[in-house]
Amino acid sequence: MTQTNTPIVEFKDVSLHLGNAQPILTGLSFDVRSAEILVLLGRSGSGKTTTLKLINRLLLPSAGQVCVEGRATTDQDPVRLRRRIGYVIQEIGLFPHFTVAENIAVVPTLEGWDRERKRERSAELLELVGLEAEVFARRYPSELSGGQRQRVGLARALAADPPLLLLDEPFGALDPLTRLELQRELRQLQARLAKTMVFVTHDVREGLFLASRIALLHDGRLAFIGTPAEFVQSDRPECRAFVEALAETEVRGDPKAGDAR
Amino acid sequence: MKQLLAGLAIAFAAISGCDILGGDRIVVASKNFTEQTILAELVAQQIERRTGLRVERRFFLGGTFVCHRAITAGEVDIYVEYTGTALTAILERPPLQDPSAVFDTVASEYASRFALTWGKPLGFNNTFAILIRGADARRLGIETISQAAAHTAGWRAGFGYEFVAREDGFPGLAETYGLAFAETPRTMDLGLTYRALADGQVDLIAGNSTDGLIAALDLFQLEDDRQYFPPYEAAPVIRQELLERHPEVAAALDRLAASIDDAEMRRLNFLVDVEHRDVALVVREWLEDNEP
Amino acid sequence: MNVFEYLSRNRIEFLELTAQHLLLVGISTGIAILVGVPLGILLTRRPRLSPSVLGIANVFQTIPSLALFGFLIPLPFIGGVGARTAIVALVLYALLPIIRNTFAGIQSVDPAIREAGRGMGMTDRQLLFMVEVPLAFGVILAGIRIATVIGVGVATIAAAIGAGGLGVYIFRGVAMVDNTLILAGALPAALIALTADLALGRLERHVAPVPPRQLAELRPA
Repeated sequence: MTQTNTPIVEFKDVSLHLGNAQPILTGLSFDVRSAEILVLLGRSGSGKTTTLKLINRLLLPSAGQVCVEGRATTDQDPVRLRRRIGYVIQEIGLFPHFTVAENIAVVPTLEGWDRERKRERSAELLELVGLEAEVFARRYPSELSGGQRQRVGLARALAADPPLLLLDEPFGALDPLTRLELQRELRQLQARLAKTMVFVTHDVREGLFLASRIALLHDGRLAFIGTPAEFVQSDRPECRAFVEALAETEVRGDPKAGDAR
Repeated sequence: MKQLLAGLAIAFAAISGCDILGGDRIVVASKNFTEQTILAELVAQQIERRTGLRVERRFFLGGTFVCHRAITAGEVDIYVEYTGTALTAILERPPLQDPSAVFDTVASEYASRFALTWGKPLGFNNTFAILIRGADARRLGIETISQAAAHTAGWRAGFGYEFVAREDGFPGLAETYGLAFAETPRTMDLGLTYRALADGQVDLIAGNSTDGLIAALDLFQLEDDRQYFPPYEAAPVIRQELLERHPEVAAALDRLAASIDDAEMRRLNFLVDVEHRDVALVVREWLEDNEP
Repeated sequence: MNVFEYLSRNRIEFLELTAQHLLLVGISTGIAILVGVPLGILLTRRPRLSPSVLGIANVFQTIPSLALFGFLIPLPFIGGVGARTAIVALVLYALLPIIRNTFAGIQSVDPAIREAGRGMGMTDRQLLFMVEVPLAFGVILAGIRIATVIGVGVATIAAAIGAGGLGVYIFRGVAMVDNTLILAGALPAALIALTADLALGRLERHVAPVPPRQLAELRPA
């Protein structure tokens, strides 16, 4: 796995506020390195989703700069930018009137690929995410389970082979077993494809499992950024809060704790 | 709940507006054009000032057949009808040309068949006026319907609903004069036919010869040179039952006999249709001036 | 004589009036679609306009049809007696259901679908034509169906201002106190309305890609 030194994404002192209300993000500065999974961790309302949406320009910063592949998002055409970024959201958002194969092939269709190439790519991606192509290509989203739909969502995000993937709590609405399955598969996928990923979650176990590095957001500020090991050993109170919460659930034998890591 | 039902029952009775509450009310109706409302108002005010009886007005009731249905059913007591219309449209007799013959026929038939009495004619003849634009008449140099027949192939006609369906209306006229139009005549509310003619959307209409709009819109009345239309003398038609109850009504209305000629009717129509004056006021002024 | 005898005896006139009626409804509904659907789409892009636009369309619907015809007659260009005025009035009547259904249909598309589409790099137009309109199509068609059925009914009144159509029989029948004549106009008009309702209803069911119920089920449990 080659890692280059130029960051794919850079946040340079980014702030965001809406009107005169409390700022959502303040002075955010960090980068995302090639082929890493950066987990954005934080409580609900800490600004993780907002941070993610600044990357594919669904939002614009009030101050500072967000750079993707070296250029500020404000200097890039939003449509072209988004086509180079895979986007996976918790509600998935598959088009109900498209087949699975057609859903996967949306960006290729927008980019004008020919039918044969699209068909091959859809089949390839279905296998990649663990769904049998013959069986699933012609099905409609309404005929799939939640886990299957999110796999299709992932395949869709990868269709045009974007260098960067943004995932906003993609497994949050799935049952614990499916969630575990998909977490494992995502890690394997990332290892094979060497994609850069920014992964938003409030689940610290999921974050520790998937992350190359963790960025912890607290009240719109960056409280910590480092490897999972550094996170667990950190003295910072925000990190400790998460780690202790994790320990507590495991000590109590909470079924949500699941199997040991 | 009982109060509600009682209230509803009373309201229903009041709305039915009828003899339950004491029937010394006389109902005068009119057809749905201006001249009729003027004549009905005249009848009403004349009765009120000469007999002191209360008169209820029901204007714009409908066309000829609606009014006839209403009076034979006893829903109204008086309306002003035209002798020619009664003869051909209601009695469905072939048309006659002598005014007295027409009057005598309708008077005796109405009395025996419908228990309706004809009052004395008011003094004018409101026949169907076959109208074209004044400009066209002058340009083509035509004055009679026969002369117009030569041009109708390129014209569109517009009529009210009654004229198209009546025996003394369009079918007979077309046959008598050999009229054929570019397309089937368009039908619409009678009042609108004047506007349609003036605006050029149709080229020939059948209006009323005493209408005030004829002069105002520079329209020309073609002469009925083959005498197709019977005379249409206006006179009140009254339920016999009413006259038995109140014979003074007959006397009051007889005083209106022969009191309005063609020109006078046209003038009154003009005041209302063109100068938009109130019908009741116009009638009151006329009664004060003429004291019938 | 009964209605069928009358109609078969006056076949040509009946066919002429029916053709006029169908033309009145067809042309006015067509115009209303061409104006109303884009307007409905525009409202989804500028929701702040929706109360005023829907409000204006609603006002036209509440004006009694004969009154609306009467108001339009004296106006220059679009007025006068005849089919043109009638078509203007019929268009105004058809607008509300079409605009409202287009607006509501597109608005009811799951926001997650819109977000996913935008995030993938679809332009607004691509989102509209590839996703939103196809998903809203059933509801839009329902609006067209409602407008058509209303139009057939209101078109009978158009006869009062010389626009022709089956209302001619009805008005003539009222003037002549002839029930056969009234039915000769009313029955075919009712039949046309019913047929349009059934046919468009079938088209709706055929075309709607996902019944509304299923749209809700697509959110992961």
